[in-house]
Amino acid sequence: MDVATMEPRTTSLVGASTSVRARKLADQIATVVLWIMASSIILLLALFIVYMFYLGARYLTPSFIFGMPAETSAGGGVGPEIYNSFYILILTLIFTVPISTAAGVYLQEYAPPGRFRELVVFSAESLATIPSIVMGLFGLLVFVYLFKWQFSAIGGALTLTLLNLPALMRVTQEALKSVPDTYREASMGMGATRWQTVLNVVLPSAIGRMTTGIVLIAGRIFGETAALIFTAGLSVSENDPYDLNPFHTAETLAVHLWYTHTESIVPDVDRIGNGSALVLLIMVFVFNIAARVGGRALSKRLTGRPT
Amino acid sequence: MIETAAQVATDEKIVATDVNIYYGAFHAIKGANLKMMENSVTALIGPSGCGKSTFLRSLNRMHDLTPGARVTGNILLDGTDIYGADSDPVVIRHRVGMVFQRPNPFPKTIFENVVYGPKIHGESNPARLREICERSLRQAALWEEVKDRLDRSALDLSGGQQQRLCIARVLAVNPEVILMDEPASALDPIATSKIEDLIGDLKSDYTVVIVTHSMQQAARISDRTAFFHLGEIVEVGTTNQIFTKPREKRTEDYITGRFG
Repeated sequence: MDVATMEPRTTSLVGASTSVRARKLADQIATVVLWIMASSIILLLALFIVYMFYLGARYLTPSFIFGMPAETSAGGGVGPEIYNSFYILILTLIFTVPISTAAGVYLQEYAPPGRFRELVVFSAESLATIPSIVMGLFGLLVFVYLFKWQFSAIGGALTLTLLNLPALMRVTQEALKSVPDTYREASMGMGATRWQTVLNVVLPSAIGRMTTGIVLIAGRIFGETAALIFTAGLSVSENDPYDLNPFHTAETLAVHLWYTHTESIVPDVDRIGNGSALVLLIMVFVFNIAARVGGRALSKRLTGRPT
Repeated sequence: MIETAAQVATDEKIVATDVNIYYGAFHAIKGANLKMMENSVTALIGPSGCGKSTFLRSLNRMHDLTPGARVTGNILLDGTDIYGADSDPVVIRHRVGMVFQRPNPFPKTIFENVVYGPKIHGESNPARLREICERSLRQAALWEEVKDRLDRSALDLSGGQQQRLCIARVLAVNPEVILMDEPASALDPIATSKIEDLIGDLKSDYTVVIVTHSMQQAARISDRTAFFHLGEIVEVGTTNQIFTKPREKRTEDYITGRFG
C-alpha cells in the first residue's frame, strides 16, 4: 500500500473509517455466504432423508424386511437381499482390509521415498477412478467365465475388492503419514524393529483415520450395483436364501432395487423400490455408527483415550 | 571403594574417532573426535546448526533412519565399533537410549509407555512389568505424581511430566548410555530444574551425553563439555576448564556471548 493513501494514526478505537468499515462488511458478507452454502447442503440432505422416510416408511413391515422376494406377484420382501448385502460387504472387507493395510504399510513405512512410491501412488489413484461397470465386466470375464464360478457371492466380493483396494490403500497410507515421526523415533530409539514399531505404535495411532476410510468404502459397497450385476447375480441363492456358501448367487439390496425398477414384472415396483431405498439408507447409517463405535473402542483400548 | 569409583569415572564408555556425517552432499560433521566417560555427564554445546544434535544421533545409529544420511569413522562402545559389520542397530539402541527434544510419549497409557521397551525386548510377565514400571517412574522422579493414574493417557500429562515419562521409558529398558537432545528446551524453568536434578541422579548408574543450547545448563550438570562450531569440535575439556579457562578463541567468544 502506498504510504500516502494509508490512514493517519489515530488514538480512536472506534472503527469508523471507510477502510475498516469496508473490511468488516466484506467479513460479514463472507460469513453469511458461507453459512448459506453450508446450511443449504445440510437442508438438502435433511429434505432427502425426510422424503425417503415419507415414501418408504409405511412399507417397512416385518413381512417386507424379513420376507422372501417375489418373482411375479405383489407382496415380496427383501430379507435375503439385506442378508446378502451384509454378507458381500463382510466378505469384501475380509479381502480388502488386510491387503490394503499391508500395501499401505509397505508403501509408507518400508518403501524408500522416490520414483517407485510415486509410481505406485499414481497407479493406485488411476485405478481408483475406473468405473465400476468396467470392473463388473472384468469380474464377469475372470470369475464367472474363466474360473467358471458362475454368479457367486465370492465373485462379487472379489470384484468389489479390486474396485476398492486402491482407494483403501491410499487411505491407509495417508492415515500412516499422519502419525508423527517422533513416535517412530521414540520406538526405534529404544531398540524396537521397524515391524514392532509399525505394529505397536504406528498402526494403533492410525486406527481412527483407517476406520473412517473403511466406513466410506462400506457405504460404496452397500450402494454398488454395476460391479455386482454381472458377478454376484440378480437372484438370491436357490439352495438357501440365507446361504453361507460363497459360491452361490447373492443378489444384494442395491442390485434388487435396480432390478425391480428395470427388469422385473412384479406389480408393486414402487413399494419395493421405496422400501428398499429406505432400508439401504438405514443400513448405511447403522454400519457407519457401528464402525465408529467399534473404532473408538479399539482406539481407546490401544491408546488410553478415544481419538 | 573410593579408588574404584574414581577408576570407573575415568573409563571411556564411548570413543568417537574421526567421525564425518553427511546429509546427501552436505558435510555436517567434520572429523569429530570425542571420548565420553562412563558414569559422567558429557555436554555438547554450540550455536544452532553447529552439528551437536547430528553428532549425538550418530551415537546410537539414529541416522540409519534418515534417508541420505551417511556416517564414516569409528564410534566405539566399550571398545566395539557400533558401525562395524556385525553391529546391530537394534542391540545398540537397547544399550544406548535416547531422549528427544520434544516430549514424545506414545498415545498410550502411562503404564504402556513405560513398559513399551521391556515388552518389545521380550518381557511379558505382568508382575515383572509392574515392577519395572514403578522402578523406572521412581528413578525419573515421576512415580508420586502418576501412581494413581497409570491407566490414563500419557498425553494428558503436562510437558514436564511427559519428558520425565520419556526418561522413565528409556530407563525401563536398562540402557548403559542415555543420549539427551535438548531435553529441557521445550519446558518451563521449574520442569527444567527437575530434569536437571534427575540428570545429576542418573549419572551414578548411567553414562549421559546431553546436547544443550543453554550454557548455564551445561555448566550446572555436566562433567565434561565439548564445544561444536560449524560441524567441528573446537574444544573438549572438563566443564570447569571450558567455562573458566577456554583455550580456543572461538570457545571463549561463544561462552562470553559474543556469538551464538
